[in-house]
Amino acid sequence: MPVPDTMGPAAATGAAAGRRPSRAALTRACVIAALLLLALFALPALLSLYYVDTMTQVAVYAIVALGLGVLVGRVGLVSLGQVAVLAIGAWAAARLLFATTQPYPVVLLEAGLITMVAGTVIGLPALRMRGLYLALITLMLAGAITVVLDTVNFPNGGRGFLGYNGSAVRPPPIRMPAIAASDTGYFRYSVVVAIVMFLLVYVHIRTRPGRAWAAIRQSEPAALATGINTTLYKLWALALASFITGVAGGLLAGASHYLYSIDFPAQNSITLLAVVLMGGAYSMWGAVVAALLYQFLPALLQNWGVSADWLTILFGLGVLQVLRTAPAGLADQVPRDLARLGRMLRRRRGVPRPGEPAVTAAAAQQPAGSDPR
Amino acid sequence: MPPWSDFEPFVVSGLALGGVYALSGVGLIVLYRATGVLYLAFGAAGAMGALIAWSLQRAGAPGWVGWLVCVAFGAAVTLGYGMIFGPALAGRDPLVKAVATLGLTLVLYGVMDLLWTTSGGQSRAITLPTDGSGFSVGQVQVNWTQVIGLAAGVAITAATGAFLRYTRLGTAMRAMANDREITATLGVPVRRVEAAAWLGCGVLAGVAGILLADLVALDATTLTFLVVSSLAAVLIARLRSIAVTFAAAIVIGLVHDLLTPITSLANYRDMTPFVLAAVALLVLSRRTVISRSREEY
Repeated sequence: MPVPDTMGPAAATGAAAGRRPSRAALTRACVIAALLLLALFALPALLSLYYVDTMTQVAVYAIVALGLGVLVGRVGLVSLGQVAVLAIGAWAAARLLFATTQPYPVVLLEAGLITMVAGTVIGLPALRMRGLYLALITLMLAGAITVVLDTVNFPNGGRGFLGYNGSAVRPPPIRMPAIAASDTGYFRYSVVVAIVMFLLVYVHIRTRPGRAWAAIRQSEPAALATGINTTLYKLWALALASFITGVAGGLLAGASHYLYSIDFPAQNSITLLAVVLMGGAYSMWGAVVAALLYQFLPALLQNWGVSADWLTILFGLGVLQVLRTAPAGLADQVPRDLARLGRMLRRRRGVPRPGEPAVTAAAAQQPAGSDPR
Repeated sequence: MPPWSDFEPFVVSGLALGGVYALSGVGLIVLYRATGVLYLAFGAAGAMGALIAWSLQRAGAPGWVGWLVCVAFGAAVTLGYGMIFGPALAGRDPLVKAVATLGLTLVLYGVMDLLWTTSGGQSRAITLPTDGSGFSVGQVQVNWTQVIGLAAGVAITAATGAFLRYTRLGTAMRAMANDREITATLGVPVRRVEAAAWLGCGVLAGVAGILLADLVALDATTLTFLVVSSLAAVLIARLRSIAVTFAAAIVIGLVHDLLTPITSLANYRDMTPFVLAAVALLVLSRRTVISRSREEY
């Protein structure tokens, strides 16, 4: 989306290679490491099985949200079909898991590559279009994929290319990796895969492709004029997003044991876009926030006996609010507002900090601690 | 290949469906040209209106009250959204405006799912008095609702065309489609013209909601996402021509229903709008123009 030009990852310019890490960066790295250790070791011990399964879904959907975040936030391509891409990944992984005895990481890699090829082949012609047209064509293609999946169904251990046995009374579940056969083990496994995917995207954003994407998002004609191969880098972003979404699909296949086409309705792509915009499409934290909104909140509400429809309404209002007032989403807004609140409280107590200006544009753009770049 | 006589009833239903898609498509295009907003909540507004009409009918209100309320609801929601969020987002990219209407879609969809729970398996239906009576052409029964569907599509397309061509308000809308700023400079009351476009689109959303609830199904999800079929017609017309929208909508309706008797393809018939729109767009967009203008090519 070209609108929040000022908020963009101008980031890539700031990171001179080989510079000694600043204190803020060290603190940030420590916080991330602590959070990851907490997620890997403390969470499974603290949570009931219900919430461990929920957190597995959060890990999976964080990857999906990250993929959509790359497209929307970095390159400015809005896709309304990411759930269909996820379904392709899940389908490919399920088919491979039933057909072969390959180790799980290999299957995940293959599912990612298959989805990458599918996403790129579908996206190549669509990339001729921009903006609104591209968003609508992805909506159409996702609708078409959903119709096809409704008809061919997900593999359930049957024979043939499609691997679907319509008359199977008790189809075998999709197998889980040997080292992570328990729910807790699979949760840890998913988190590790998610970390790898986040690192993959991080590397992309910090290097040449990230800079090219930032240029394209600011202005495609300008990017073209500076000699950036815009088609190549847009396609690259599409391939990367499809790849990690496909890997997420593979994780989802193992986590849900059985897959049904009804689990991937086209309208979920719209909800997914809503939570990604709410979480913040410009930061990697945004993807985590989006996944929590998308998977953890519904589970929480279900546990409390509140209808999930309230969430749909909330997400709708959230999109309107984000588009009107906070283009960088919760991941940016909350730390900034907290910082502002802290300043207000300090001022109330009459302890002015030296050299403290009112909120400057720079402070608003680079809130400490909210920026993983 | 089944004999032709199997297809005949589907020609009638396909034309009726295409007529309603055309009506929806015209509403979407007029609003898009006048305000730059692609109103993706069109289906949701109509669906909620139809559900309200169903509840009123069940509570014992006469049918016409329900239909009026349905149209009024579509108009009120659309106009209200346009008045609140239209000006706030006026300077933004068309994509942002369209995504914002997705927010409205989610709100309406959540409310519908909350108030008219669909998981109970209870099926709802709206029947219009025109369902029961009809006439036959050859061996095919045609009911009056189907006639209304097609006739409404034709009438709205023709009337909108004439309205844009010959009236003052229509001329103002066409001017806004060209350039909002210059139109404002010329003394056209931009906000009022936009309000008229929102209102018109909302009325059409209500009409389409009640007709589709009768012709297809009264179900929140189905009706909310049927707008995608009209959207396909609008895309084929490149968000521009009313006449092309009408033709595309009729073709989409016809192809969709005519695939029904062919067993091997029947399951895939819901892909019709997607495939037609995708192919049309890919063929039409062979020339790429990079420009800084807000106009999309």
